[in-house]
Amino acid sequence: MKARQNGRGSNDAPHGRESDSLSGRLLAKLMPLNPRASGTEGGMTVVSARSSEWVRPVTQQDPASAIIEIDRVSQVFKTSARKNHVALSDISLTIEEGAFVSILGPSGCGKSTLLYIVGGFVSPTSGAAKMKGQAITGPGPDRGPVFQEFALFPWKTVLGNVMYGPRQQGIRGTEAEAQSRALIEMVGLKGYENFYPKELSGGMKQRVALARTLAYHPEVLLMDEPFGALDAHTRTRLQNDLLNIWERDRKTVLFVTHSVDEAVFLSDKVVMMSKSPGRIRQVIDIDLPRPRRRNELLLDPRYQKYVVDIERMFDESDEAGAPA
Amino acid sequence: MSAAGMTKRAAPVLACIGLLVVWQVASLALKNDSFPTAIGAMRAIPDILGDRESLINILASLRRMAMGFGAAVLVSIPLGLLMGRSAAIAAFFNPLLMVIYPVPKAALMPIIMLWLGVGDITKTLVIFLGVSLPVIYHSFEGAKAVEEKMLWSGAAMGLSPVQRLVRIVLPAALPEILTGCRTGLVLALITMITSEMIARQSGAGNILFNALDMGQYETVFAMIIIVGAMGICLDAIFEKVRARLVRWSEPQFDMPLSFS
Ligand SMILES: Nc1ncnc2c1ncn2[C@@H]1O[C@H](COP(=O)(O)OP(=O)(O)OP(=O)(O)O)[C@@H](O)[C@H]1O
Ligand SMILES: [Mg+2]
Repeated sequence: MKARQNGRGSNDAPHGRESDSLSGRLLAKLMPLNPRASGTEGGMTVVSARSSEWVRPVTQQDPASAIIEIDRVSQVFKTSARKNHVALSDISLTIEEGAFVSILGPSGCGKSTLLYIVGGFVSPTSGAAKMKGQAITGPGPDRGPVFQEFALFPWKTVLGNVMYGPRQQGIRGTEAEAQSRALIEMVGLKGYENFYPKELSGGMKQRVALARTLAYHPEVLLMDEPFGALDAHTRTRLQNDLLNIWERDRKTVLFVTHSVDEAVFLSDKVVMMSKSPGRIRQVIDIDLPRPRRRNELLLDPRYQKYVVDIERMFDESDEAGAPA
Repeated sequence: MSAAGMTKRAAPVLACIGLLVVWQVASLALKNDSFPTAIGAMRAIPDILGDRESLINILASLRRMAMGFGAAVLVSIPLGLLMGRSAAIAAFFNPLLMVIYPVPKAALMPIIMLWLGVGDITKTLVIFLGVSLPVIYHSFEGAKAVEEKMLWSGAAMGLSPVQRLVRIVLPAALPEILTGCRTGLVLALITMITSEMIARQSGAGNILFNALDMGQYETVFAMIIIVGAMGICLDAIFEKVRARLVRWSEPQFDMPLSFS
């Protein structure tokens, strides 16, 4: 976060980069805060590294090291009736840098709350969350949330919303606009740049919210059911786009969803939560090859087994977990 | 233009004409000295507006009103927004405002006159007080209602608390704030006239009440029309500006209640 601010002035000309090449990935790992959009490749915006003056010492950052550590976090809310309501109980979870982790669980089990704690928007009743070894004390541009409620700025157009983050980071207007337009096109909203949020459908708002967060290149994406309001087709497209972005930039993603398919398709790790009080039931490593292609994966028996197993586990917990 | 559009445009004009007709008929029927006819009052308007002295008076009123209103808006909006976002600030100012709220601001004038004299400062201050409260109240309500996740989004983008107040709370609460300002504008006009009634020296109110003392009823009613017209014009201009500023928030679907 500090590093990015230091990098402000470097308005160097972006140079294209082969996003799939090994060197490209390495570069992305070295400069997780990097990117600037330029050009297009296979419908996707190619992002080039900002040749910033600062480069983190490589030694300090083991590529497979934990980026987020959640340590025995509990969250107790006081309800309006002055009762204690346990939303999260004793959650411990480590997320490795560059990992795609999904949180799966029934409605009301505390998924959003957990995301807010990592985002620094809510401080836990007990326990602590850390980002890169530093205790999380508040929000910062290193962790970009996409909220379930979209939370778009209603007084800004689609373009204004998406440009807001980059402008705040000190990126020049013309450049921020070009980047933002590319992102808007990516989420399939070309032609809607000058619409106000009230003029968009729910699914369109959700896509703007996604583009707005991607626009300021957070290291960690905190996504709260970002595809919940989308039709199957758009959903699939955005899942693929998200995977492409993630495979290219190796952002860390914490992804809340209700959909077992979606969780298995996207993730390295699926965290299953159970309700009342919110706990982690099980963490499942998804050992499927990448890059993942949807049409191949749907036929893959390993994928099918993951989905069936996880669904069965939820069914069991439904039977066992009726509140006593 | 459609027929519905025409009626909408013509409606305010028709209302004014209707009012004047009723007035004319009523005054002819009552035949009272202190109730001149509408035509008589209208005839007096050019006399007032053509008189240098009167114009200076009216302009002085407008100047005080603009200053009082401007100062009130500049102070009240930040205060209201801060109150809306900080429970501590709200807890401090709320009781103070509750005390001032029900007091007619003109009733404070004699005291203020004792302290500050009968000049511009006193009158401007009274206008300031009159405008402040609705603007504070609406800014407060508007800031309180700002969606939390919007502020969180801003914080995640790196906006400092002050930046969030100016760049998220202010625009998000703007529709509500402007509603308060509109009420404030009308109150500014009212307190302007009342203040000049109490501290007579200059201004539109001064012309009105002097004419009343001297029994020039046509001038009195002409002044009432002038002040009323000023109110309508200011309100219409303000409404234009307001609608332009908050176009993004206006409801999209105009659901008729179907009375017709
Ligand atoms: N501000 C609050 N005050 C009191 N209780 C709250 C508050 N926020 C959340 N809760 C409670 O905490 C629990 C978890 O809420 P949370 O929003 O994290 O659920 P979720 O898993 O995201 O659900 P969904 O999938 O429906 O979005 C719920 O039981 C809810 O009632
Ligand atoms: Mg939720």
